Formats: sequence, C-alpha cells, structure tokens
Amino acid sequence: MKIPILRLGRLLLVSIQEDLTDNEAMQFQSDLVNKVAEIEALGVAVDITALDVVDSYMARVINDTASMVRLLGAEVVICGVQPFVAMTLIEMGRDLIGADCTFNLDQGLEQLKTRIASRGDIRFAGDEDE
Amino acid sequence: MTLSLSQVLSSHQDQLLNHWLHDLSQAAADSGLNPAHPELMEPLRALFWAIIAQLNQEPAQQPNQTPSQASAHAPDQPAPLASERSEQQAALKTELQQLIAKQARLQRNLSDTLGFLLHLKHLVLKALLAAEAHDPTDRSILWLDHCFEQIARQAFDSALAERDRYISEQSLSIMELSTPVLRLWHQILLLPLVGVIDTGRARQVTDHLLEAIAKYEARVTVIDLTGVPIIDTSVAQHIMKTVDAARLLGSRVVLTGISPEGAQTLTKLGIRFGDVISRASLRAGIAEALLITGKRISAMDGGAR
Repeated sequence: MKIPILRLGRLLLVSIQEDLTDNEAMQFQSDLVNKVAEIEALGVAVDITALDVVDSYMARVINDTASMVRLLGAEVVICGVQPFVAMTLIEMGRDLIGADCTFNLDQGLEQLKTRIASRGDIRFAGDEDE
Repeated sequence: MTLSLSQVLSSHQDQLLNHWLHDLSQAAADSGLNPAHPELMEPLRALFWAIIAQLNQEPAQQPNQTPSQASAHAPDQPAPLASERSEQQAALKTELQQLIAKQARLQRNLSDTLGFLLHLKHLVLKALLAAEAHDPTDRSILWLDHCFEQIARQAFDSALAERDRYISEQSLSIMELSTPVLRLWHQILLLPLVGVIDTGRARQVTDHLLEAIAKYEARVTVIDLTGVPIIDTSVAQHIMKTVDAARLLGSRVVLTGISPEGAQTLTKLGIRFGDVISRASLRAGIAEALLITGKRISAMDGGAR
C-alpha cells in the first residue's frame, strides 16, 4: 500500500493507517524524503493515530525518517501516538522516537507553525522574491 | 661467419641514428606536427645511445669477438658483469622516462612513442640482415626482440607513472582551489564544499575553516554541501568532524544543500547532527545565519520594487 503524501502549502501531511511491510516502510521513507526536497518543505506532520501497535522496527523507521527530514531543513512532528503505543515504546526502552510528539494532528500543525515562524527563512518572508 | 649484433651496431650506429631521426621527423610532419621539435631531439638522441648500449649487452655467442671489434659502449668481457648491466638498464630507464615526460608535455600519444621505438627495432633488424645473412632463429635477432620488448614495457610503465604524477598534481591544485572559506557577512562564514571529500581534503578544509572562524570571530558558519556528489561513511565522518570542530570554537553551524540521498545515507549510518541546523537551500541557510546574528535583509525604501 502506497502512503499518500498530502501537501498543504509548504507543509506535508502523511497518515500511516496500517502496519507497513519492510519494503513499504522503505518506500514510504524515500517517497517522503524526496517530496520534502522537491518542494523544500518547511514542516512535516506524521500522523500515526490509526496505529495500535508500533514495533521497534516501525519506531526506527519513523525516527530515521524524522532525522532525514530534519537534515533536509524541515521541522517534524509526530501526531497521535496512542496511549498503549506510548506505553510499549517506553517499555522497549530509551527514546525510540526522538522527534517531538503531539496528541493529535491539530496540535501538531499548531506546533509546526510556531516552530516554522521562528525560523530565519520565514522571518524574512517579507523579502521573498517570489 | 656472421657478424655479431654489436659489430653491426658499431659500424652502423651513426647511420642508424640519422636514419631513425629522419624517419621520425618525416612521420611527425605527415601527421601535421612540428617535425624536428628541438625539445624532443635531445632526449631521442640520448635514448638512442642508451638503447644501443643495452643491445650491446648481448650475451656472447662467438668466441672470435675481439675487443677491437666491440663498440665503445660494449664492455670487453664476453659476459658483462651484472652490475654494469643493471646500470645500463637504469640509464635506459631514465632516458625513457625523460622522453615520455617530454612527450606528455607536448600532448603526444603513448602510441607515437611506442611507434618510435619499434621503428628503431625495425631499422636495426634491417641493418643486421643486410650486414650478413642471419636466419630468423638467430640468437642476435631473438636478443634484439627481447630487448625491445623490455623497452616497450618500460615505456608503457613510464607513461603510466607520468600520467599518475600528472593526475595527482592536478588533484592537488584542485584541492587548493576548492576549499575557500568565504566571509559572507560580519560574523558569518560560508564554506562551500565542492567535489569529492577525502581524508586529506577534509583535514585541509577543517584547518582553513577553524583559522577563519578564529580570525573573524564568526558566530555562524554555513556549510554548503550542494556540490558534494556522494555522501558515504567517510565523507559523513569528515563533515561531522568539521562541524564538531567549528562548534568547539563557539560557532553555530548551519548545513545546507544536503540531497535526499545524502540525508538517507547520513541517517542510516546513524549519524546524528544534534542541534546543528540543517536547511534545504543555501538561501534558507543564509537567512538562518542572519537571524542568529540579528541581521536582516530588507528592501530599500522607495526602491525599484
């Protein structure tokens, strides 16, 4: 299953609805990374509300993707981590998910906007030549 | 009785040399090159004598050879000493190297040079056959063949070595050209990295950068990686070290222009840049640097816009 990547201006929104196979996870990762580079995205919200189970592999995929996206100059937020998922992730140890998390998408977008607003490239938006 | 190779050579050497040089000039003129390039003539002459000396080392097969008949370049003993032999081989090698270097500077091909050498073989062979009836299995001819095979090999090796030297010289000059640290604005430095980053270059880049940071008291350094084609483990390690070093001097680092593939590689290698800011484009990176130093770019009042 290909995960759709939705574009909201210079934000990207992805919602992971079900468990991904290894190949799907890799596909998702490179799709998202390429999209971020293509539109020079400022922020990415990854919604995992629909996931009841996040195993260590999936956690790593999410975490790696977040790191890659940050290297490409976009802010990342993970939205909708379920209480049970949070429990298991903590049980599995350390910070499996290093990115910032919010309870739902609404808060996620809010946080992205706040963080983007404090960035240099946006503070100078008035000087944009496009 | 047949004459030995060295006997034939000693009586014909001047004629051979003139014939050879004449033919070479002719061949060069045919291909539109300066026929008697003065720079080439001297090494060719020197090479000729070295080759003659080498050919004179032919193991003796005829007891009737007398010292007077041997050429001035040939030792008098029937079996030359090993040390003399290797000395002459070394001399030949040096001459070859010089010729090849000259040729390379004049942008001529290796095949031309090999053509020269094999033409000389042809001439010597002709002289040998004309002087006395030799049959093709004659030891002299085999020896001749053997010598020129060795010479051709050495020529090939020399040409390769020459090219290697040339390449390493060039990469050195590219290295020096391609590691500038630019002063973008007050307290802002820009380090645009272009090309392959190896250990030597990474160290040089880091050195330059640290010096510049200290000199200009830079608060922000923008490192642009747009021109780095491949980010692999070692490149990532080097960039990491550069970044860490800059941070130790108290300069914030903004990375820009990492490609999607580069980002994936860095992450999969487990490299975390921590609180280093990364931006998609140099432009966004510069904006970030200006923000950190409290500057901004704005339109002029009443400007054309």
